Amino acid sequence: MSSIATNDKRVRSTVGMGQIMLACAGEKLSSVLGSCVGVVLYHPRMRLAALAHVVLPDSVGRSGQPGKFADKAIPEMLRMLAAEGANASGLIAKIAGGANMFGTAAGPMQIGEGNAEAVKKLLRDHRLRLESEHLGGSKGRRVTFDCDTGMMTIEIVGSENATI
Amino acid sequence: MPQTQSLDHPQLQVLHQLFSSATHDASSAMCRWTSGLITLTLDEVREIPLEDACTLVENDGDLLTMVVLTLAGEVGGTMILTFDDVNGRQLAATLLSRNVGDSPEWSDLEKSALCETGNILGCAYMNALTRLIDADLVPSPPYFLQDYGASVLEQALMEQAATCDQVLICRTGFHREGRELNWNVFFVPTVGLRNAMNAALGGA
Repeated sequence: MSSIATNDKRVRSTVGMGQIMLACAGEKLSSVLGSCVGVVLYHPRMRLAALAHVVLPDSVGRSGQPGKFADKAIPEMLRMLAAEGANASGLIAKIAGGANMFGTAAGPMQIGEGNAEAVKKLLRDHRLRLESEHLGGSKGRRVTFDCDTGMMTIEIVGSENATI
Repeated sequence: MPQTQSLDHPQLQVLHQLFSSATHDASSAMCRWTSGLITLTLDEVREIPLEDACTLVENDGDLLTMVVLTLAGEVGGTMILTFDDVNGRQLAATLLSRNVGDSPEWSDLEKSALCETGNILGCAYMNALTRLIDADLVPSPPYFLQDYGASVLEQALMEQAATCDQVLICRTGFHREGRELNWNVFFVPTVGLRNAMNAALGGA
């Protein structure tokens, strides 16, 4: 995890594999995603966001940072946001990633799709509104979430930037 | 799923010796191919926390040129050669005994030269591992891609991440006439290969 001041003088923090970070107005959160899924929970009125870099769909009793597993990441994000005063009812979700980088047809490399499905199910289970998503494909993504605008910018090599 | 046992210091030392020998073989092959211009050294074999792994790719958010080889199956792994675009083009030009091309696009010949580098390294590593675990390991044909380095390394680490918060990475550096170049090789074994290596090293 690292923080840098960008040209527009706002702090942009990079969220590594399995990590969860919070950011508020004037800040951005960024992550590079392959088959992992980046999950943003955002409170528009408070301009407060959490970004989790989810690596695997299910912890099934395994140890590790909560952000590593979808089933642990969402409750932990809700806990962190609640500690800052953001109730779950005011949150929206945006997700990106879940690529199949090596293009294989079967096996563990299909984890991207599994991550995306697990995250979506957990958002439904927690009654969180999924406002937008940018999933799948075979290329990596660099995602940046802007707490001021509530928008996530997605860069993919060889493609136009997308904003969700 | 059981948690993968971390390697202790003596086991890592044995692995370092093993991959040093593999890197030496690969370096000799590269040296012959480039008339002594390019050599390789093993920089490190170590376990690091999962969340730090992608920071090993310099400028992890930048576009990199890569050659990827995979070892399919339970006892498998992924080898990733990373170059920034300028250095990758220079390597291809050196291998082809040509000047660096003007076109922003990589030619098929340049891609092929870079993939052949992956083949040489891949075979050297696989031969060393075959000797260690007494099993035939055959890598896939190398393939060329351009993407964010961290996103590719992330996918390679995925299977280890399922059972371990520490991931094993072997990193090799390139040198041109003794000067370090901005090219790296990462080798990431699967859980099955890690366990086979642990067993061969007496740690299972």
